[in-house]
Amino acid sequence: MSENKFSVIGKPQIKVDGTELVTGSAIFAGDLRFPGMLYGYAARAGVPAGKLKSVDVSKAVAVEGVVDVITSENIGGPNLMGIMPPFDQPVIAKGEIRYAGETIAFVVAESKRIAKKAALLVEADIEAYEPVLTVEEALADGARKIHPDGNVTFTRKLIKGDTAKGFEEADLILEDDFETSFQEHAYIEPEAVCVVPSGDNRLTVYASCQSPYHLRGQIAANIGLPMSKIKVIQAYTGGSFGGKDDVAAEIGILAGVAALRSGKPVMVAHDREESIIGSNFRHAIKIHYKTGLKNDGTITAREVKLLLDGGAYASESPFVVMKALIHAAGPYKIPNVFVESTAVYTNKTYAGAFRGFGVPQVTFAAESQLQEAADRLGLDALAIRRKNALRPGDATATSQVLNESVGIVQTIDAVGKRAAEIAAGSEDEADEQYLYGTGYASLIQGISNGAEGIDVVGASVQMSQDGSVLVGTGLTELGQGSRTVFAQIAAEVLGVPLDRVTARLVDTDSVHDSGATVASRATTTGGMAVFKAATEVKSSLLQMAALMFKTEAENIVLKEGFAVLVFDETARIPIPDVATAAYWTGFPLMNMAFSKAPDADYDHDTHQGKIYIAYNFGTHMMKIRVEKSTGKVEVLSHIASHDVGKVINPLGLTGQVEGASLIGYGLGHMEKIEYENGIIRNPNFADYAVPTIMDRIPTEVISVEEFNSTGPFGAKGVGEPPVAGATASFVNAISDAVGIRFRKIPVTRQDIMLALRNRGNQEE
Amino acid sequence: MEYYKPKTAGEAVSLKTDSRMYIAGGTDLGVLLSEFMVQPEALIDLTGIDELCGVFKVDEGVAIGACTGISLIAESELLPACLVEGAKAIGSPQIRNMATIGGNICNASPCGDTLTPLVVLEAVFIIEGDSGERRVKIEDFFIGPKRTCMSPEEILKIIIIPSRSPDQKSGFRMIGKRNGQAISQVNAAVSAVITGGIIKDIRIAAGSVAPVPLRLKKTEDVVRGKALGSNFLERMKDTAEQEVSPISDVRAAEEYRRKVAGSLLESIFRAMRKEAV
Amino acid sequence: MEISFICNGRKRMAAISGETRALDLLREDLNLTGTKEGCGKGECGACTILLDGKPVSSCLLPAAKLDGRNVLTIEGLKGDGGKLHPIQQAFLDSGAVQCGFCTPGMILSTKALLDNNPAPSVSEVEVALSGNICRCTGYGKIVEAVLLAAERLQVKI
Repeated sequence: MSENKFSVIGKPQIKVDGTELVTGSAIFAGDLRFPGMLYGYAARAGVPAGKLKSVDVSKAVAVEGVVDVITSENIGGPNLMGIMPPFDQPVIAKGEIRYAGETIAFVVAESKRIAKKAALLVEADIEAYEPVLTVEEALADGARKIHPDGNVTFTRKLIKGDTAKGFEEADLILEDDFETSFQEHAYIEPEAVCVVPSGDNRLTVYASCQSPYHLRGQIAANIGLPMSKIKVIQAYTGGSFGGKDDVAAEIGILAGVAALRSGKPVMVAHDREESIIGSNFRHAIKIHYKTGLKNDGTITAREVKLLLDGGAYASESPFVVMKALIHAAGPYKIPNVFVESTAVYTNKTYAGAFRGFGVPQVTFAAESQLQEAADRLGLDALAIRRKNALRPGDATATSQVLNESVGIVQTIDAVGKRAAEIAAGSEDEADEQYLYGTGYASLIQGISNGAEGIDVVGASVQMSQDGSVLVGTGLTELGQGSRTVFAQIAAEVLGVPLDRVTARLVDTDSVHDSGATVASRATTTGGMAVFKAATEVKSSLLQMAALMFKTEAENIVLKEGFAVLVFDETARIPIPDVATAAYWTGFPLMNMAFSKAPDADYDHDTHQGKIYIAYNFGTHMMKIRVEKSTGKVEVLSHIASHDVGKVINPLGLTGQVEGASLIGYGLGHMEKIEYENGIIRNPNFADYAVPTIMDRIPTEVISVEEFNSTGPFGAKGVGEPPVAGATASFVNAISDAVGIRFRKIPVTRQDIMLALRNRGNQEE
Repeated sequence: MEYYKPKTAGEAVSLKTDSRMYIAGGTDLGVLLSEFMVQPEALIDLTGIDELCGVFKVDEGVAIGACTGISLIAESELLPACLVEGAKAIGSPQIRNMATIGGNICNASPCGDTLTPLVVLEAVFIIEGDSGERRVKIEDFFIGPKRTCMSPEEILKIIIIPSRSPDQKSGFRMIGKRNGQAISQVNAAVSAVITGGIIKDIRIAAGSVAPVPLRLKKTEDVVRGKALGSNFLERMKDTAEQEVSPISDVRAAEEYRRKVAGSLLESIFRAMRKEAV
Repeated sequence: MEISFICNGRKRMAAISGETRALDLLREDLNLTGTKEGCGKGECGACTILLDGKPVSSCLLPAAKLDGRNVLTIEGLKGDGGKLHPIQQAFLDSGAVQCGFCTPGMILSTKALLDNNPAPSVSEVEVALSGNICRCTGYGKIVEAVLLAAERLQVKI
């Protein structure tokens, strides 16, 4: 890492919101209590597909303590929700059931237990249809249409160069099918929201959520109030990873309707099972890859076909289609690329956003196939990646020329160096019970919204007369540490210690609609907005200090809590004194900034053009051993190197990389939603295997800093990218150890052991 | 809902009616209650009954009170290794601190991690009901998944682990989808009397490979009389793979269960060999 | 039924029903909302409390079983002189907290471990915390935090 000229940026900082979390005093949405508060609980379809003829709520209404039972007729607005067009998801099912977890009625009662008990008594007359359960079934001729326009949710193509020509130039062509499974977010806090009528014809919504502005818009539309009548305050949010968006809006609407009808505060706090069956997953994708290479490893062409199982509703499928499409070529310079990416409706829980957003799935397939090519060509794993890696001035698969912040080669070299050190330091183990393997993977991940639409963030920075600072943005703290990063940026700009800065949770009343906290954009675009707002406040302080020092503003810097004369550092005025003077002199001490990232500019038919404002690059190495007799895997070392532009908070950054890596490992090795006839068989943490502390991997983080001019202090996001690196390097390590190429994830203990046994049988 | 805390087993039995349920640790019943899968009018808590708690030596061997916590079993120095290891494999520390061995037995899940050890230890259960006490051998106790020979009013009081030769060795292994809080896809236990390097007496069982914890008598026949260090493992595994009769479900495939059962047994015998050296 | 128990050093009385869960009694009646519900089935550890010093899942624990016992929740964990408890401080210093929802349970499981085993090995830490799932951190920093807390607590003695 470069030499640090900053006082707060780049240094490990304890979370600014940490104390309330370790003492249990942080108020999460489910912790709220209001006088007269009621509780809501959804009755769900229980069958994956059918005609919903009628819903009988009479038994539920009769339960003592039940106040109201809401059905689709009671939704004031269009009874449709979704994050983007086609807005095809009803809040409460009407006429048709498209997945088993779908809400058919909403019970409101004096306690959650009563509401739940009554919800189980709701009876629906459903004429069951044969469910459409796979993408192949959905696309087959004559398939039953899940939605009126058919079963294709969204499809796009990327076309660069001429792949036919590229394959002609190739010495080796590999063509394979890969498959991934549905992954559950499994944040430890299930979704919760509390809607409170505030007495002034407004509703205040306290929500565990990722995108307060989505909630505001969808609640307003569906209960028939202007958006200005809805105020969403983000409660402390116990993880999200892409998951607390659609479903947060769903329960926000339901609670909103109930609050309006009853005039009372209404709480909805999901059970774990509801959180699994009734909210989105990471897409399961059927992936076809064809790659052509020269004997020296140069990739000449790549063709990819993706079929995303999007489940019953669109959710964010359209954007995941695009993100997977754009990233299918990997972090490489490939002259000829063709990708077709299609999301399909099935009668399963909808798929949507999940940390990585389509990139982990394509990276797994791409890096598996590249590794197989390297093995066939007798090339070193890192060498083949280095050979093809993008360099400054090169064009991506979308023909976007990257002139700065292209650190892929540096991550490859960093991993190579560290891997060599580890290899030199460890004895060659050769316990015959085990098989040993090493896997590598490189990746690219676009930062911020890019092609997914307008990229704006609002922020406010306010200095009080005592020199303390209040920072607000429209982007949410989900545990990733964005409040700390925002506070650091304000502290750095204003020259005050971090403990003088408060970064608050989002309140939609107070800053500009900032869209969603997604796409690794908080630090990059959110940080830019804070930087801008803080710089305006700084300008006031400098002008005031200039008057006090009787000099020009450019002769003053703000640091260590003082305004300091640059040519005489002993001349300093405490910032509180400057702030007080600025207030009484009439300089503005609060600024509302609006930051807009450069627009994406590309052809929608070919996806050629400028897509993202910056890209994170990464390379991972994983070394594992497998117990032959059981298939049990132990990760011996894991190196994750990412080009992050500039490290803002090393403690937060390593936490992000470690956490994302374990999610990637889970995706690659043990996590899978199991369906049987459209019903989820493992809607719990006993049978849906989230890694425990005994399953952790020893991630070592190496940061590369290639300055990115679109982010604050050169930074770019890192929340999502490690997922892809961990999944792909794991699968390559397993395939290396076992000597069998696995093309379907998760690769479980069972898969490994049975593959070994079957190979053993064939050899006999 | 009422909640009774009887002080004796007799008092508990006299409190029992069709609409009341016994509760021990509550780790299984708690889920059923919050999901409204059972809706009793009252709970009868057995954990306050002194005679049902603790591990102690008796003439026949070792007696375990049915309400003894899994954590205590996992720390016990009086109990054979396989049972201690089985107890350690259950759930999480939190669950082990709440759950009881009697609960694990009466819940009668085919994957219960103390059940397979108890099968190889040939445990005997003392049960009390309306008509007094009776003793049931473990082989007669389980009649199906989640089903036992007990009538609704009966209470499991004591588990007797009969004494064995001082040369008895035992072991337990399990495999799940992950390392922590894993539910057994398969578990296996072995109890052997090894004298002068010869396996004189042998009991082998596997869990989650049949509707009830399964004693593998054909597999035992392969092993019995062999020298511990001799070359019987491959045949033992093959026999075990044939003898188990697992199903495929959300936790594992039938084929994996079949094969990994042999692997777990092999691992137990390998550990015994290591220990013997 | 009436029960009485010690909670965070104070004697508490409560009128409960047989099906009342300890978790609900603590959260609803005593306003101790630092104890979280993550799964309701004893599979995640967010609801961990210490009962007579041992970690248990309060979501599966009938409140009736608290009668006459000693309960510690996260709200009862305090350091000297109004400071954070050394375990809490170590979690902050190590970056072991992200969203914080699992944190109260994680910290209480750590407390139970270190009370019985002041210098645990890494694998002992892993076993002790295996009932507490964290989805944010990847656990590396949590293990570091526990070892740091152990070190600081030992120095203190």
